[in-house]
Amino acid sequence: MAFSLAAHAITEISIKAEHIEHPLGNVQNASLRLDLGKPSPTLSLKSSLKQKTDKDWSQVSLSCNVPKDIQAGHWDCAQGSVKSAHINVPFSIVINRLLVKGIPDISAELNVKDASFSDEAGLHAAEKFTGKLKLGAKQAGNNWIWQMDVDWQAGEVFWQPFYIANGGHQIVANGKLEDDLLSFDHANLKIKNVGELSFNGQMRLNDFKLLNFNGDLPSLDLATAYPLLFKPFLEHTAFNNADIEGKAALKLEIKNSELKSFEMRLNNVDIADKNQKFAFYKLNANIPWSYDEPKNVSFGYESGELLNLPLGNTNIKAEVNRFALTTPNIRLPILDGALNLSDISAARIGPKWHWHLRAKLEPISMADLSTSLKLPHMQGAASADIPLVTYSGGILTTDGNVVLTVFDGTATVTQLTMIDPLGSTPKLNAEIALRNLDLGDLTRTFSFGAIEGKLDGDIKGLEMQNWKPVKFDAAVQSSPGKYPKKISQRAVENISALGGGGAAAAVQRSFLRFFKQFNYGKIGLSCKLHNDICQMDGIESTNGGYVIVKGSVIPAITVLGYNRTVGWSELLARIKRVTDGNSTAIVK
Amino acid sequence: MKKILFGLLVLAGFFISQIALAAADLEVNTPAISALKASMQTRHGQLAAHYNSGAVGLTKDGLIAVKDANLVALKDRQSLNGLVSAENGDRNALYKEIANANGHAEWEAEIRSTFAQRWVQKAQSGWWYQDASGWTKR
Repeated sequence: MAFSLAAHAITEISIKAEHIEHPLGNVQNASLRLDLGKPSPTLSLKSSLKQKTDKDWSQVSLSCNVPKDIQAGHWDCAQGSVKSAHINVPFSIVINRLLVKGIPDISAELNVKDASFSDEAGLHAAEKFTGKLKLGAKQAGNNWIWQMDVDWQAGEVFWQPFYIANGGHQIVANGKLEDDLLSFDHANLKIKNVGELSFNGQMRLNDFKLLNFNGDLPSLDLATAYPLLFKPFLEHTAFNNADIEGKAALKLEIKNSELKSFEMRLNNVDIADKNQKFAFYKLNANIPWSYDEPKNVSFGYESGELLNLPLGNTNIKAEVNRFALTTPNIRLPILDGALNLSDISAARIGPKWHWHLRAKLEPISMADLSTSLKLPHMQGAASADIPLVTYSGGILTTDGNVVLTVFDGTATVTQLTMIDPLGSTPKLNAEIALRNLDLGDLTRTFSFGAIEGKLDGDIKGLEMQNWKPVKFDAAVQSSPGKYPKKISQRAVENISALGGGGAAAAVQRSFLRFFKQFNYGKIGLSCKLHNDICQMDGIESTNGGYVIVKGSVIPAITVLGYNRTVGWSELLARIKRVTDGNSTAIVK
Repeated sequence: MKKILFGLLVLAGFFISQIALAAADLEVNTPAISALKASMQTRHGQLAAHYNSGAVGLTKDGLIAVKDANLVALKDRQSLNGLVSAENGDRNALYKEIANANGHAEWEAEIRSTFAQRWVQKAQSGWWYQDASGWTKR
């Protein structure tokens, strides 16, 4: 350290320090100069600073006019700056007073203009930041009483994970500082276009732990708040890519660092997933929660959509008791039917929710359902009665039957489980039994070429990924019983085409081409799908092949298949060719 | 003699582990895998510029990470984080799905490290990747 005084008339006092070490950081080449030569004395400071975690040194400089009355006079520090590779903060400070009657009673104003700064990784950064901080702090015994007024006028800030594009935000607060306990007695945070939060609370400074907090946000604009405040926290949920509009109100109480209560109200909120997985319109909700006592929750929407299924006006009431939710009955209108959920209970254990309930589907018309799901137009109805549905750790399991009455017969789905239905790789497992499907309806629906008769089938061990089958053991064959069994030439050709050609050519070469339709005794086909390969078989085996259609009285036809293994994608392509290209059948 | 026996055992162990790995079909395809690959393919269009600039690099464990956010405009840093987190979600799911499709969920770690090497081999020059010594430019 060096200390120098010019002899005789003192015009300059200068203090220099080459190196100072402190647990918070290091100081290098510090110089403090008091210049008494000018009309009014000036104090200037220059130094290099480095926090322990920083790589670069920052250069700090500040120059102030020293008032005659050092305690109560005006300090005017017009040209201050902090500079380093990542930091350029020009600032000015006006100190209105430092002491009153020898006791610290500071009133100061800090102005920052066009500042930019960033940490090493660029995760906390600001550009063209202009703002003003007014600070008052008065010592009272061992404590301080403070008030501040921050005005963020302009500039953009990225503070991982938040990004705020423009200024116009204010915080006004006052409180006390007792040892390392910082109290906010009254505080008001105004975020432009988003909302206004008034709060009080206490924070422990040595670990920045929030001890107590009471917040009230009476009107939050969700359209602006969603990208700013919520989206960063919803990155790994189904709600990370939605459009949302409407108002919300929020109250929150934290006591001894534990969430004590909150109350959320949603007012005419529209929320729609950009990937069209779900949407709710005119959503209204009142969701109170308390650690100490049960609360009644209400939740409703005018309309909505879930995986392309339209949802009707719904109102749900439930009781929330700490981490458990129960409600006797929920009715969710879907298309012309409804899903009735009863005996519902849900509990949050650890970070995950677990649900169980009883579900009953009031008949939904298949005509509407098939249109909504973009399937070929079907008649009939879908209904279900599932005594127990459980949802636990992302897996939805059912114990009971979903019965679809389609094509004049039934399709019964049992042991239905779904994993991650709204996620990026949804999976479904099920067993399906088809009984007495009308082949006439079925072949017309899929424009396959007319077949008259009835069909039974079983799809065992169905496994779907991303709503596409990857594994099953399926077989369909004529239902038992007496009924007319006729097959058109077009259908014969199409069945043959599925097997990869052969029989169709035979029909066209032989006298059979003179008949438009044939009688058959039995029809059947099976496919075991595994590893993208379909192992095919018919109703019985022949030399080197298998029987798909077995002839009966004249004119009868027997269709044989020879390909026992077909690539699944090849088979799908053939089916598509057959059902797409079937408006005109070529009969020579 | 003991040494020879030990040597043989080590050799046998080595071959067995090679066989296990060789048996894993990394090109196996299921709808879940093709959905993940398609989603990664689409995202690559947005990520390529960040690999080129060095804002994002390839990590040792077959994922990606923000290497230097300063190379990206402030307003784009949040979406950069989102891109990286979504890509890592897909990559983790991909390794798991490939292991499952092979019928050996326990191969996930092996598949991940094989992919990690593959991504680095396929990286264009100028891209950054992590090796034992830290970030390295290819």
